[in-house]
Amino acid sequence: MKTSLKTFIAALALFALGAGNAAAQWKPDGPIRLLIGFGAGGSTDTIGRIIAKRVQENTGWKVIAENKPGAGGVAMSRLLVQAKPDGRTIGMAVTEAIAINLVQRGDKLNFKVDSFDYIGTVGVAAVGLLAAADAPFDDIAGMIAHAKKTGNLTVGFNGKGPELITRALANVGGAPIRPVPTKSGGEVIQNLLGGHIDAGYAAGPQVKYIKNGDIKLIAPLTRDRHSYSPGTKTLVEQGFDFAIEPYFYLAAPKGLPRKARKALVREIGRVIDSGEVAEVIRNSMNTDIKNLGPKGTLDQMKRSLRSNDALLQAAK
Amino acid sequence: MPDLAIIAAGLGDAFSPVNLSMAFAGVVLGQFVGAVPGIGPVIVMAIAVPFTFTFEPLAAIAFLVGISKGGNVGGAIPAVLINAPGTPDAAATALDGYPMARAGKPLKAMKLALYSSVSGDTFSDILLITVSAPLALVALRMGPVEVVCLMIFALSIITGLVGDSLGKGVAAAAFGLLCAMVGLDPEHASPRLEFGHFELDNGLSLPGVAISMLVTSEIIYQLATRSATAAAVPLPATRGDDDARLSRAEFWRCRFTLLRGGAIGATIGAVPGIGSSAAAFLSYASAKHASRKRRAKPGAAHEPPLPDFGKGNPHGIAATESANSAVVGANLIPLLTLGLPGNVGAALIISALLIQGIQPGPLLFAEQGRLIYGLFGLMLAANAANLIVGQFGMRLWVLVVRAPASVIFASSLLLCFVGVYSATGDIFGIKVMLLFSFIGVFMRFFGFSVVAFIIAFILGPRFELSLSQALTITNRDPMALLAHPVGIAFLLLALAAVYVFGFRRHAAQS
Repeated sequence: MKTSLKTFIAALALFALGAGNAAAQWKPDGPIRLLIGFGAGGSTDTIGRIIAKRVQENTGWKVIAENKPGAGGVAMSRLLVQAKPDGRTIGMAVTEAIAINLVQRGDKLNFKVDSFDYIGTVGVAAVGLLAAADAPFDDIAGMIAHAKKTGNLTVGFNGKGPELITRALANVGGAPIRPVPTKSGGEVIQNLLGGHIDAGYAAGPQVKYIKNGDIKLIAPLTRDRHSYSPGTKTLVEQGFDFAIEPYFYLAAPKGLPRKARKALVREIGRVIDSGEVAEVIRNSMNTDIKNLGPKGTLDQMKRSLRSNDALLQAAK
Repeated sequence: MPDLAIIAAGLGDAFSPVNLSMAFAGVVLGQFVGAVPGIGPVIVMAIAVPFTFTFEPLAAIAFLVGISKGGNVGGAIPAVLINAPGTPDAAATALDGYPMARAGKPLKAMKLALYSSVSGDTFSDILLITVSAPLALVALRMGPVEVVCLMIFALSIITGLVGDSLGKGVAAAAFGLLCAMVGLDPEHASPRLEFGHFELDNGLSLPGVAISMLVTSEIIYQLATRSATAAAVPLPATRGDDDARLSRAEFWRCRFTLLRGGAIGATIGAVPGIGSSAAAFLSYASAKHASRKRRAKPGAAHEPPLPDFGKGNPHGIAATESANSAVVGANLIPLLTLGLPGNVGAALIISALLIQGIQPGPLLFAEQGRLIYGLFGLMLAANAANLIVGQFGMRLWVLVVRAPASVIFASSLLLCFVGVYSATGDIFGIKVMLLFSFIGVFMRFFGFSVVAFIIAFILGPRFELSLSQALTITNRDPMALLAHPVGIAFLLLALAAVYVFGFRRHAAQS
C-alpha cells in the first residue's frame, strides 16, 4: 500500500506543479509493460523491477514488470518485436545472449539487431575466468600448459559465450580444455572451492572470494580490466582476441513516436543514474552504472554480433 | 567462536515488534497461498522482493522467510483435505494424509502435519544455527559425481515406493524424465522435442506441469468419479474427540520418525539442487521400512495397531512433513555460507539480500554477524508463528471444504489457471497445463503414479546437468568413479532399494 500511496503523492505533485517535464509532454495511454527476458529472482529481474518501480514513482505512469524468460532473452525479444511501437511495451535483456542467438540461428528468429529502438544500458557484467587460489597457474598461457600436462582440464561455464571461449582457447592452445555446463556463476565457484573443476567463469559473485583469497582471477573477458583486480590483464591483453561484454539493455519495438522515445529515454535514464539502481547493481553484481544511451546501445549490439561471429569461428 | 554480544544484539533485533510482525505477516500470507491450490509461495515471494528494498534488511528477510516457511505448512492442507497438494513438496503428505482425512480425521491429520512440519523446521534451524559452517564444508565436497549418484538413489526409492508396481513406477518416472528433456539441452543448448515451439526453449514450465499433474488432474478425476453435490470432503456429522485432538502420546510415538525425517531433510537441504520433494519421499521410505522392522520385533504387540502405510498411518505424515520442512532451514546453509541457492525460494531470498548490499558467502558471518543472528532468531519466531496461525487456519479450511465439491473444485480449477498464468506469464503455460491435466487423468485411471512422474520431472534437469558434468570431469572413464567413494556408496544403496522395493515387495505380494 505504501507504494501506491507514494505513487499517488508523486502523481499529485506532478499534477499540482503542472510539471514541464516529459511526463507532461508524453503520456502513455495505459500501463507500460516492462518485459524482463529472464526469470524471477535473477539479477536482470531485480534491476528491471527496480527500474519499473522508480519510473512509476517519478512519472506517475503505471509500469508493470513481467517475466518472459526463455533462451537468454530471445523469447522476450520475439514478443517485443511484435508489440505495437507506442511506448507501452519495452523489454530488458542482455546483449551477448541476444547476439549469440542472432549469429547462430538468426534465420529462425523474427527479429534483427535493428528491429528495435534502443533506450539504453544499465551496466556491463564483470565476467571473468577464475581458478581456485591454489591452482598451479595464474594466466591463460599457464592454464594451457597445465592442461597439456594433466590431459584433462575442466572449465565450468554458464551461457553460450563462455562455452565458446573455452572451446576457442582449447583450439588455439591445442590443449585438452573441456567445458563443464553449470546453472550459474555461484555453482562454478562452489565447484572451484570443492576442487571438482579446474577453472570456471562468473560475473559478479567472484569478487568476495577474490578479496577473501579463496579464488583468483585468471583473465577478465570484458575489454576493460575489472576494478576489483586491476593488475590482471584481460583475455585480449593476454593475446587471445576474444571478448564477452554482457550489457543489460532496454529496448522498444522499432518505430516509436519521437516524443514517446524521448520521454522513455529521459525517464529511464534518470532512474538508471539515480543512486538506487547504482547501489543495486553494485551490490548484486559488483559492477558500475554504464548507460551507453540509444545510439551507443545499438553500436554495442553490432560490436557484440561481430565478436560472437568471430568467436563461433574460432570455437569450431 | 562467535561473539556473545553480537548474538545478543542480533536476537534483540529479531524480537523487535516490527521484525516480529513482518515474520508473522509473512507466515500468514505464506500459509494462505500455500494452501490455495495453484498459487505457490514462490510467485508471491517474487512479487514481494522488489518491495523489500525499502525495508530494513532484517525485516525484508524476515518477511520472505516467513512466506517460505508458511507456504511449506500451507501446502500440506489441500494435500490432506482434497488429495491435491498445494506444492509438489507436499505430494508425499497426501499418501497418508488424505486417507486419514477420508477416514473422518481431517483435523487430526492436519494437526499432525503442522506439528511435524514445525518440528522438522525447528530441528534444521537449530542445525543451521549451530553447525552450518562445518556442514557447508561437507556440502562443498559433494561434487557432480556424488550428486548424480545421490539422485539415482532418490529416484530408485521413489519409483519403488509409489503406485501399485515397480514397473508402472519406473514407466511413470521415465516419462517424467523424458518430459524434463524438452527444451534446450544443458550441454550445447540445442533444442530438443520442441516441435517448433520456441516457448519450450526453457522446458515445460514446472508450475504448469506440477499443478496440472498434482491438482487439476486430481480434481477432474474426483469430479468424474463421484457426485458433485456432495461435500468436497465427506465428514461424519458428529465427529468424536478423536478427530479434534492429537494426544501427546500419539505425537510422542512419532518421535523417531520425526528425528529421522529432520535428519534426512537437513542433509538433502544442505546440498543445493535436490529439493524438498525428494527429501519427503526418502523420509517416507525410511519410515515405512522402520515400521516393518518394528512390527517384526517381539513386544511391539502391546501398542494399538496403526493403519497401514498409504491408508492413513500417522508415521507417513510425520515422516514427510518433518523432512520437507527440514529442507527449508538447511537450504539456507549453502545460501548463507556459499551464496548458493538450493531452490527458487532461496534464490529469491538471495536477490533480496543482494539488493540490500549483503553478499552471501564465506565472509557473511564475520561481516554481518548481527544480521545473521537476527535472522536465526526470526526463523525460530516464524516457526512459532506457524504453529499459532496453523491452529486457526486448519479450522477455517475444514469449514471451507464442507462446501459442495462442485464449488470447491470449480474455484480451485480457476485458481490453478490464475496461478499457472501468473507463474509462467504466458497463455502457453495454460496450454501445457491443459495437456498435462489430461495426461494426469489418464495416468490416474490406469494406476501410473503421477507422483513418480512429477519427482522425476523436477529432478530431471538437475540430474541431466550433473550427469553431463560428471562425465566431463571423469573424462568418461568408469574407473575414475573409484576416486568418489561417497558416490559408490549411493549407487550401492540404490541397488539395495531396487531389491527391497521391487523384487522383495513383489515376492511378498504374490
